[in-house]
Amino acid sequence: MSKVGVSHASWDTYRDIEISFKVNGKEVKVKVKPYERLIDVLRNKLGLVSVKGGCGRGECGACVVIMNGKLIPTCLTLAVRADGSEVLTLEGIAPEGKLHAIQKALLDTYAMQCGFCFPGVIMTSKYLLDKNPNPSEDEIKEVLDGNLCRCGSYLRFVKAVKLASKYINEGKIFFDESEVMR
Amino acid sequence: MSSVSEYYKIVEEVFEKYKDKEFLFVGRHSQRWDSVEKIKGKALYTADFARLYSKLVYVHSVRTKYAHALVKSIDTSEASKYPGVLKVITAKDIPGINDVGYVIPDQPLIADRKVRYVGDIVALVVAEDPLVAREAEELISVEYEPLPVITNPLDVVDLMTLKEKPHVLIHDERGSDILVHYKIRRGDIQKAMREADVKVEGVYKTPFQEHAYMEPEASIAIPEPDGSITVITSTQCPFDVRRAVAKVLGLTLNKVRIVVPAVGGGFGGKEDVANETAAKAALAAVLTDRPALAVHTREESIIGHSKRHPAIAWYRHAAKRDGTLLAVEANVVMDGGAYASLGPFVPWRATVHATGPYKVQSARVDVVRVYTNNVYAGAFRGFGNPQVIFAVERQIDLLAEELGMDPVELRLKNILRVGDETVHGQKLTEEHGVGLEEAVMKAVEASRWFELRREYAEIKGPVRKGIGIALFYHGNSIGVEGADYSSVTLIINRDGSISIRTGLTEFGQGAVWGLALIAAEILGVPPSYFKIENTDTSATPDAGPTVASRTTVMGGAATVVAAYKLRRRLNEVASHILGCDPDEVVIRAPEVYCSSDPSRKTKWVDVIEQSFWLGVPLQEFGYYRAPRASWDEETGQGAPYITYTFGAIVADVEVDIETGLVKVNKIYTAYDIGKVINRIGAELNAEGGAIQALGYALMEELIHDKDGRVSNPNLSTYYIPTIKDTPEIIPIWVEAKYRKGPLGAKGFGEPSFNAVAAAIANAVAHALRVNVTELPITPERVYMMLKSKQRY
Repeated sequence: MSKVGVSHASWDTYRDIEISFKVNGKEVKVKVKPYERLIDVLRNKLGLVSVKGGCGRGECGACVVIMNGKLIPTCLTLAVRADGSEVLTLEGIAPEGKLHAIQKALLDTYAMQCGFCFPGVIMTSKYLLDKNPNPSEDEIKEVLDGNLCRCGSYLRFVKAVKLASKYINEGKIFFDESEVMR
Repeated sequence: MSSVSEYYKIVEEVFEKYKDKEFLFVGRHSQRWDSVEKIKGKALYTADFARLYSKLVYVHSVRTKYAHALVKSIDTSEASKYPGVLKVITAKDIPGINDVGYVIPDQPLIADRKVRYVGDIVALVVAEDPLVAREAEELISVEYEPLPVITNPLDVVDLMTLKEKPHVLIHDERGSDILVHYKIRRGDIQKAMREADVKVEGVYKTPFQEHAYMEPEASIAIPEPDGSITVITSTQCPFDVRRAVAKVLGLTLNKVRIVVPAVGGGFGGKEDVANETAAKAALAAVLTDRPALAVHTREESIIGHSKRHPAIAWYRHAAKRDGTLLAVEANVVMDGGAYASLGPFVPWRATVHATGPYKVQSARVDVVRVYTNNVYAGAFRGFGNPQVIFAVERQIDLLAEELGMDPVELRLKNILRVGDETVHGQKLTEEHGVGLEEAVMKAVEASRWFELRREYAEIKGPVRKGIGIALFYHGNSIGVEGADYSSVTLIINRDGSISIRTGLTEFGQGAVWGLALIAAEILGVPPSYFKIENTDTSATPDAGPTVASRTTVMGGAATVVAAYKLRRRLNEVASHILGCDPDEVVIRAPEVYCSSDPSRKTKWVDVIEQSFWLGVPLQEFGYYRAPRASWDEETGQGAPYITYTFGAIVADVEVDIETGLVKVNKIYTAYDIGKVINRIGAELNAEGGAIQALGYALMEELIHDKDGRVSNPNLSTYYIPTIKDTPEIIPIWVEAKYRKGPLGAKGFGEPSFNAVAAAIANAVAHALRVNVTELPITPERVYMMLKSKQRY
């Protein structure tokens, strides 16, 4: 933080702003500072820890969520921007006890390694499938290009999105969690 | 002592018993234990625990302004008074010993006397709000006396003489900035050089590589009522972190508890940096009596943790006209940056593997590792081996060119096979499992090597194609680096479910799942019955560090021991219930029956319940220590590793000579990893290692400016491969079983990285008919190579 422009006034002097928005289908009201990032509010105030912080600069894709139908990096989004919006995180993509088709497909293709990038990968894939239920391999790669995975499960992400697309086209959006372990 | 040999006997007995059997679980596809919680986003990584502590304080690291300077004084009085700041910590506040060095004590947690690189910490600011902590940093004044900054390791030693040059010492307290010097002396090198028909030589350079695990380092320390401390942290080596925290706080080991939740990648980088982050959090927690979080930003992560050692290697190879390799000479200088980290060991592994997987009659190898003012270098998947593989495999291709031989043909003439001696004089036997030739043949066949090698050479126009091969071997586990032990506790619960406890830590690739598969096979219980407990130094047994590709081979051996003993006891109990001989008891949980009469059967849970009431222990501890390795410091002769993993990589690339862009189309990875235990894990590791090595080959390079500052400390300037860079990867398995390993397995964590960059470099050289001597092969380097056309 640069010295320039910092008066060493306590950050507490910034007043709280109450924002209300819909998260995973539920209305929430939360007090935030004007400088607070959406990622911190989602994680620390709302307990949605699937939203991962990987770089703080919108470079890695670990913190992306769907806001008003758009994919956004929450580390570059001020919380106040969420006022009046609808936000979807990984916690909200399937009903209790169920998995979304993309989650099932990622398990079917055995893509799991460290898992840190997965919330971002899943939200990005869902965003893509919502817009385009039959993406080509190139379209999948184009959209997932912003999600870094250092363990290198990339090849399986492509397979999983294709498989999820198949499931969705067959009308299979949700799967029972108990069906997946084997 | 008979107990010492017992575990060897068990592992070998189990190998013999299972070697021709069809496996139920081992080597088959299975879903790892943690995949559902992770797919739901419920798995907790270290920083995710922060919100559970309402009194949490944040620890902000104040880092040095200079990469090399004496610290004359530090004034924190203004910062301490800043509203919201609870404490400013400097070196004098440390109750124990101010050191977090992993192997040798050369790395202060908080610099007191001098700073040696841009990541050095001079103070910690503790506040309730992280922004307040950062702001207060501005109020700390440090008086430095800048010293000359060394970023080029060749300013410390001369490449050809390996003599130290006069310079202002970085580690003046040691009296020298050469950390280690390892050697191999074999045969009569002068004679071999005189008799050789052909010689090739070159200098090869490889860069600093950043791990870029997606989860940045984090530690949360919680002070306990009895004066002890618990630290939740992201690490590969919790028992080493415990030692570091205990040392810094001046506590005994049993007063420090390290808990490792889900870890977002490590690749070697989380071996020692957690010493620092855990100690920072622990110090803040103890001094404020509040739970404390130390979490690194991506920039801090990149400038503040170890990197892959850059190497500058001079090589000379000599051969007969028929391609027989006569001699190898090498001088290798590894840039270790500011601190030792794993630096005493990485150059040793480089030395052992410095001549590649070939029969070499005469060799002289010298490897030194020097201090500079760069970010420190330490462990990274491959551990010194990829650097020398790049040099050796380029040399072999140059030699093939010089001899007019095909690169595969030349390699087949010289590779190690059963009965051959390594350059260290270690005789390779059936027992070791030596599958290199098979790996080469399979990779060559799958890739249509001979056909494409000719076809691509004819291509003209703006997009050229090339195909290249590279081979490697990789000593298993840690060899003579240290005490090579592991341990595992298997606990069968009353409901028949099974808990596995081991200090071997899961950090992404799921290696510990292999232990569940081994136990499942031996006990006859499906993998779905198993849970791997998170590593916790107060609950899981010390199994040594989770490094050196040792989880499957070393942890697996300990698992074999524990599972075998449990199985024997359970067979006894079942034989009482079923009325048949213990050897006839078949366990196929949930059923248990007699092989002689399958109608005599009972349930797995009933055998467990009976065992409980009979007083038959349902827990077992398995311990294994690797057979001793040997190494002569002066000659490099001995048996440095218990066995070797082998591999052959073929890369198929295209290069746009107008843009300089290299695109990898296919990578064939043929690996001899002994018995494949965890097939999904192996496949994922082969893919992930190849992609990471593609980054090493083509785009990854941490750059320091002349003042030692990192020019690309984030993910938009330090490039790692994305989904678009990922080629088709074709895994091929060769199973030359290691008879002393668990069910014949060898290690595979690091080998998946080893030779991929070298294969890509050889393919680029083939495509462009140029000599590739430096990684990464960026468009700029392609341009420079084409411009100067060094060869062909």
